Amino acid sequence: MSSNNVKEEILCTQNLGKEFNGVWVLNGINIDLKKGEIHSIVGENGAGKSTFIKILSGVYAPSEGEIVINGQKVKFNNVRESEQLGIRTVHQEINLIPFFNVMENIFIGIELEKNVMRINILDKKKMAEKAEEVLDILGVELDLNKYIYKLDTSMRRIVQISKVLVYNYDVIIFDEPTTALDHSGRRRLLEVIMNLKKQDLGIIFVSHNIEEVLEISDRITVFRDGKNMGTMLKEEATVKKIVSKMIGHKSYSDFKREPVQGKHKVIFEVKDLNTEKLKGINFKIHEGEVIGIAGIMGAGKTEIAKAIFGIDPVESGEFYINGERYEPQPSKSVKKGIALIPEERQEQGLVLNMDVKKNISLAYLDQWSRANVIDLEAEKNTAEKLIEYLKIKTTGPLQIVKFLSGGNQQRVVIGRWLSGDFSLGIFDEPTKGIDVKAKEDIYHQIDELAHKGKGIIFISSFLPELINVTDRIIVMKNGKVVDEFDPRRNTEAEIMIAMLGGNNNE
Amino acid sequence: MNNKVNNTISWFEVLRKYGTVIGAAFIFIIFSLVVDRFFTFGNLFMLLRQMSMLTIIAFGFTFVMAAGGFDMSIGNAAGLVSVVFAIVLVNTSSFWLSFLVALGIGLFVGLVNAILVAYINLPDFIGTFAVGSIAYGIKMLITKGNPIFFMNPPEIFTFIGQGYIGPIPFPVILMLVFLVITMFVLSKTKLGRRIYAIGGNPVASMYAGINVKWYRMITFLLSGLSVSIASVIMTSRLNSGQPLAGENFLLDVIAVVFLSATMFGEGEPNAMGAFVGALIISMLNNGLTMLNVPYYFQYVTKGVVVISAVMLAVVLGQRLRVKF
Repeated sequence: MSSNNVKEEILCTQNLGKEFNGVWVLNGINIDLKKGEIHSIVGENGAGKSTFIKILSGVYAPSEGEIVINGQKVKFNNVRESEQLGIRTVHQEINLIPFFNVMENIFIGIELEKNVMRINILDKKKMAEKAEEVLDILGVELDLNKYIYKLDTSMRRIVQISKVLVYNYDVIIFDEPTTALDHSGRRRLLEVIMNLKKQDLGIIFVSHNIEEVLEISDRITVFRDGKNMGTMLKEEATVKKIVSKMIGHKSYSDFKREPVQGKHKVIFEVKDLNTEKLKGINFKIHEGEVIGIAGIMGAGKTEIAKAIFGIDPVESGEFYINGERYEPQPSKSVKKGIALIPEERQEQGLVLNMDVKKNISLAYLDQWSRANVIDLEAEKNTAEKLIEYLKIKTTGPLQIVKFLSGGNQQRVVIGRWLSGDFSLGIFDEPTKGIDVKAKEDIYHQIDELAHKGKGIIFISSFLPELINVTDRIIVMKNGKVVDEFDPRRNTEAEIMIAMLGGNNNE
Repeated sequence: MNNKVNNTISWFEVLRKYGTVIGAAFIFIIFSLVVDRFFTFGNLFMLLRQMSMLTIIAFGFTFVMAAGGFDMSIGNAAGLVSVVFAIVLVNTSSFWLSFLVALGIGLFVGLVNAILVAYINLPDFIGTFAVGSIAYGIKMLITKGNPIFFMNPPEIFTFIGQGYIGPIPFPVILMLVFLVITMFVLSKTKLGRRIYAIGGNPVASMYAGINVKWYRMITFLLSGLSVSIASVIMTSRLNSGQPLAGENFLLDVIAVVFLSATMFGEGEPNAMGAFVGALIISMLNNGLTMLNVPYYFQYVTKGVVVISAVMLAVVLGQRLRVKF
């Protein structure tokens, strides 16, 4: 709209790269940001977005390349130096003190003071003025005396943004700012960001939600496998174009599963499940069937696993396993034949300071026990067999699991469930952070379990593996099932578009 | 060259694993050399008898701590059990009835602890501390601080705290029986395994289908039970219900379990560790008393011993799982 279309460039990166242990997670990134612009960065998990943000905000030093601010090459050694040069990040996690009020939270660490009789005391009036000024910019009305715990998530997010604005800023980076917000909260936040744009600053916006990216961005850059796949103007961008740049990974595995034939019995069914995060979930799993659950971060994938197993409270819903109704509760779920390989291997899967043997026997201890006494010899034999069968690289059943690699730790968790008999196996992000060989072993394992007639739920944020391994893919968005696909007929792009949402399914 | 390196490591390992035992042996030798009459049968049996109550409570506490918990109520609970036990005994002259009531009180205190800590999720330290405070209040209200004496206590009552089987005091036999039971339960049963798993990672334990709250409750019940038994022995030894008698248990037991967690380089509370820890604390109590060291100075010594043991453990790179 401005007569002179060349806006002033405020930040750019030249050939920016980051290497960890010989792996380039970010490579040759050239990006520029202009004043008064919202420049979005999209990409799948692991595409390099968060590494990029961490470099700009001074958390990581780049392994190669340059950062240029206002025409000057800069280097920062820590977050503080990046902030002093005007780069501010609104993080995904909200770090506010619940029992401080809005104003106190905004000024934590940068309190304004006045001098009364040679003693420095807090200048509340000045802080209130400054805070009001900032809230004006954002177009938000908010009582500065309100305690944070009384605010909803979107308002907390806005307080978090205000913290940034009372300080100097030229560039503001938003990292997934709408995560965990409901529809109205998301609207409010997008408006706030649009208001902020009028302040002649550069905004970098990182989000999984392509709809909102298309709505507010001036330009959109797609990352894939640590590389810049191209930058588009808002006018030329569509969901399809963006998705086509996001997918098409370097080939990672040749594994391709075939469906199990001739098994039709329903193993598991959930009817009208509602929880705090999930709304109206229904599905069935048959013997030998592997279903995939896809969705972006925060869509409710893990919540399904937690509800079925009994970790999260269920508001309403019916659960059936082998035709029998059950109330989800971890100890009962295990007895009914449900196995869960949780998302967080170290926090939820393992007792890290215990040995391999004890971690393997943890869920089905009854098997090796008579009158509550464990048959330690039998327990050890089982562990040894599973170590061999799953090719767990360990010095033996007595090695403490914290000393194993990620892939081998995951094998221990899987071994735990293989040591007993279950009907439904839930694999929640089982391949996260493990090497290709270990991934393929897990795919084979899932296939074998399906052939033994078990029902499998495979939750993953990595679409290609769901396509290769599952018989059916359920797509979730905002806690609901929004679509279902046949991975042998539908394409990755089709599924991805459903995940990211062409239609507004609020 | 190679050999030498190996040697260093193995010495390090020995120190890491058996440092506490070596410490106990060291203290034993020093006292035997320095204190007259320390190394005599009479005194050693007295030492063992003195430590039996502390050790039994420490075994109960070991269950709680193995599950990652802490029990601050033990000292006052012991006094409460002693007082109620004595009152019932005086009024009914029935040892077994009084004994059952004593067990009931201990279990009840454990149950309240468990409900507050495991089910309502109060921090262990605060929940059990408050329960201890309530127990203190109740026993003082009942007795106004006065001991309860017995006229003609049943023989079996006297035997529990003062009797002998052969040359060995009965409480010592009880202590050894509980040592064996605790070792067995913690290392060989489902209960023990699950308790350690919960202490190691309660979240992962839940994801493995373990009913974490239930097992934490059991540990508090076991702690209450051990307090009851120790308290009955104590009442018999003192030949009276003593409202204040149990109070030292808390500090001593805490010292014992910290020492226990430094044993075997596991960083985990365990039965043998509790036994050796109790031996160290009791030798200090006994030996320093015989040396005429002022009573309150013994607290200083215990503090120093615990700090040294834990510091040594940390220096030796043990993971100390001691949390509140």
